[in-house]
Amino acid sequence: MLFNDYPFLLVFLPAALLIYRLADPYPHLRIGVQVALSLAFYAWGSPSFILLLIASIAINWLASVVYGRVKWKAVLTLVIVLDLAVLALFKYANFLLANVGLVLGTTLPALDIGLPLGISFFTFHHIMYLVDLKRGKAPLYALDRYALYIAFFPQAIAGPLARWSEVMHQFGRQVYVPGWQRQFCIATSFIALGLFEKIMIADSIAHLLDPIYAAAAHGPLPSGDAWLAFCFSFQILFDFSGYSDIAIGLGLLFGVQLPYNFNAPLRSTNIQDFWQRWHITLMLFLRDYVFYPLVNSRLLPRRFLPVQFFGAMLITMALCGLWHGASWTFVLWGMLHGLAQVVCSLWRRYGPRCPSWLGWALTVLFVLATGVIFRAGSVEAAWHVFSGLLSPLPLERGGQLWPLIAAPLFAFVLPASQDIVAFFTRRPNVVLAGLLGVGILALLIQIGERGGHEFVYFQF
Amino acid sequence: MACFGALALGAALIATLVILVDPYDSGRFGPFAIRGVADRNPWTANVSRARDTQFDSAILGNSTGQLLEPARLDKATGLRFVQLVAPGADPRGDLAILDFFARHHQTIRALVFSIDQPWCSQAVLPLSKDPFPYWLYEGGTLRQLGHLFTWAALDRSFQRIAIARGARQPVRADGYWNYEELWAPGAKHPTAAEPANAAPFRGKVTDHFPYADMLAAAIGKFPREVAVVLVMPPTFYTIVPVPGTRDAAVHAACREAFRSIVSGRANSNLVDYRVDNALTRDPANFTDLVHYRAAIARRIEQGIAASLRDGQGAKIDF
Repeated sequence: MLFNDYPFLLVFLPAALLIYRLADPYPHLRIGVQVALSLAFYAWGSPSFILLLIASIAINWLASVVYGRVKWKAVLTLVIVLDLAVLALFKYANFLLANVGLVLGTTLPALDIGLPLGISFFTFHHIMYLVDLKRGKAPLYALDRYALYIAFFPQAIAGPLARWSEVMHQFGRQVYVPGWQRQFCIATSFIALGLFEKIMIADSIAHLLDPIYAAAAHGPLPSGDAWLAFCFSFQILFDFSGYSDIAIGLGLLFGVQLPYNFNAPLRSTNIQDFWQRWHITLMLFLRDYVFYPLVNSRLLPRRFLPVQFFGAMLITMALCGLWHGASWTFVLWGMLHGLAQVVCSLWRRYGPRCPSWLGWALTVLFVLATGVIFRAGSVEAAWHVFSGLLSPLPLERGGQLWPLIAAPLFAFVLPASQDIVAFFTRRPNVVLAGLLGVGILALLIQIGERGGHEFVYFQF
Repeated sequence: MACFGALALGAALIATLVILVDPYDSGRFGPFAIRGVADRNPWTANVSRARDTQFDSAILGNSTGQLLEPARLDKATGLRFVQLVAPGADPRGDLAILDFFARHHQTIRALVFSIDQPWCSQAVLPLSKDPFPYWLYEGGTLRQLGHLFTWAALDRSFQRIAIARGARQPVRADGYWNYEELWAPGAKHPTAAEPANAAPFRGKVTDHFPYADMLAAAIGKFPREVAVVLVMPPTFYTIVPVPGTRDAAVHAACREAFRSIVSGRANSNLVDYRVDNALTRDPANFTDLVHYRAAIARRIEQGIAASLRDGQGAKIDF
């Protein structure tokens, strides 16, 4: 079920709100009802894997309970390895088989298994909790609360990657308390903004770019098309930022403030700044659970600490690439971003001061160029795009290109979604609320016109 | 509250508008019974034409039947033809229109189908990403209402209000549109070339034509007295299958599969115009490889009229 389609917006969401409204006065029902709604949401979207999600919750929670009793860290290590093994089986098994086949000079049969919806995200949610439990930072939780942490429907499929410490204490709070209307106003604004980003900008760009990338997979591109393909990063920004904003809005409707995931990333003046503003929750996860452990472990003698530091940076970003998908182009994309971070950090330490406008221009160009590799699916297809940049801009397409004019303008000029929402919801305003309603209506009509397009991050 | 009030009020206004106006003139809504549409998209405009009871006969297929003029066929046959071709549609779209036409007419006298290459596919193709509006022809009232929540439906609603006010003319009721207005004679034509050499073929073709089965099932529901003429439209000679090749054998097998649909029906015939002759070798008779011009359209209309008069014994001049 898509957040940007009628079945969710007109059936599931109103029904879920109504059911939760009835359960809200009863503290012992709140979490259970939210778990049931979340499992129903997941079952609707991925009926074949609902049992996997339930089993995953049960096994991880049981491991935490056993650890609480016997204090054997091996129990937690074992279940984390199991989580990663399940993720590897579903997401990387065929990639591994294909590469082993290449090494052996043969073709190994591929496994016929689908990718469970949200597996990358709920695996990371488990890991965040279990690692912190192992470190003595996290308490034990009841099954219903833990189940909601993993399956909470606004974030279960594609994030944001909320830490247990950010959300666990919010579950089970009463939503309909004095002032709930303002919370709903903020939530609705986030949802409307997210739908606008997804439907009006990301999908409009996708409409232009999808056929071009399909053509790039087969050969050189016709004149000017490569310039459009070069703009893919704008599509994924508004696609995923839109998703995250809808998720934040939905979370608020059920009394949970999820963490922000984007902070106007294309206004960054260097690549390190960029990665603190783009998919923030994933980067915080990688920082705390991959990068810091790699840097802090005694892998190399002390005098090689800089080598270990920059090596950890590269490995973290390569894993970030691999997390996005089982393909060498994702790894290449991650490595390039890792290298850029190494260069950036050395430059900031030893290089001359770089004017912020130049830093911004270089960052945006680098993000756009690596975005082509991310999207192309193969180095050849990416090369077809890059070589096509020698042809002139396709200005003759005129009005067709409006999404590629609007998207950069929004990305470079506007503040982050959370700042926009904060600005407009500071004081109750009947006129603005009415306009928001009209805006949502227009977005619903647009969905009717085009149908719902899947979010890019559903495939990761 | 103001936000949801505006949303609910807006949605209610739109629902009221589309229910009162019936944007596509599908007959499901619209107590005001505004006649006709100003819709230039045949995929949706055909729903209005297909339920117009002034017609008793129809031309169906995709754009390769577009240039057949209902008025000329009317004059030659005494019937009342309507153009229901759906350019670029899958054969299943044409069959949905046929079914809708049948449900809205008590008396049907003749059906003409343009059976071009897509009808001879040996596999049912997956539906395209930009699908034909089946909901408009087959859907229930609720399903249809759900699809009317679009900018296109709002646009058609205002067009129909303009028609009711007399501020706008509806498009032709018989659905005829001459694409030569767009591609004037001499301005666009295919390039003459030697047909590609293909390996000789002496085997037996056992290919199956699923769309022929679908059409047979659809036609089978009509009384025997409904005349059916299937036209395999001409193409520019460069893509006419060369005799003795597998393509030619497949085309012949496809022709026979469709011929079985009309055999045994009075005043019915299958006419195969996909031949290599002086007419199909003249670039001036085509706009591109598959769309013929007026000179050929007139010949096909004569062939259709002759078939409706004499059935399989009709003399076809081509």
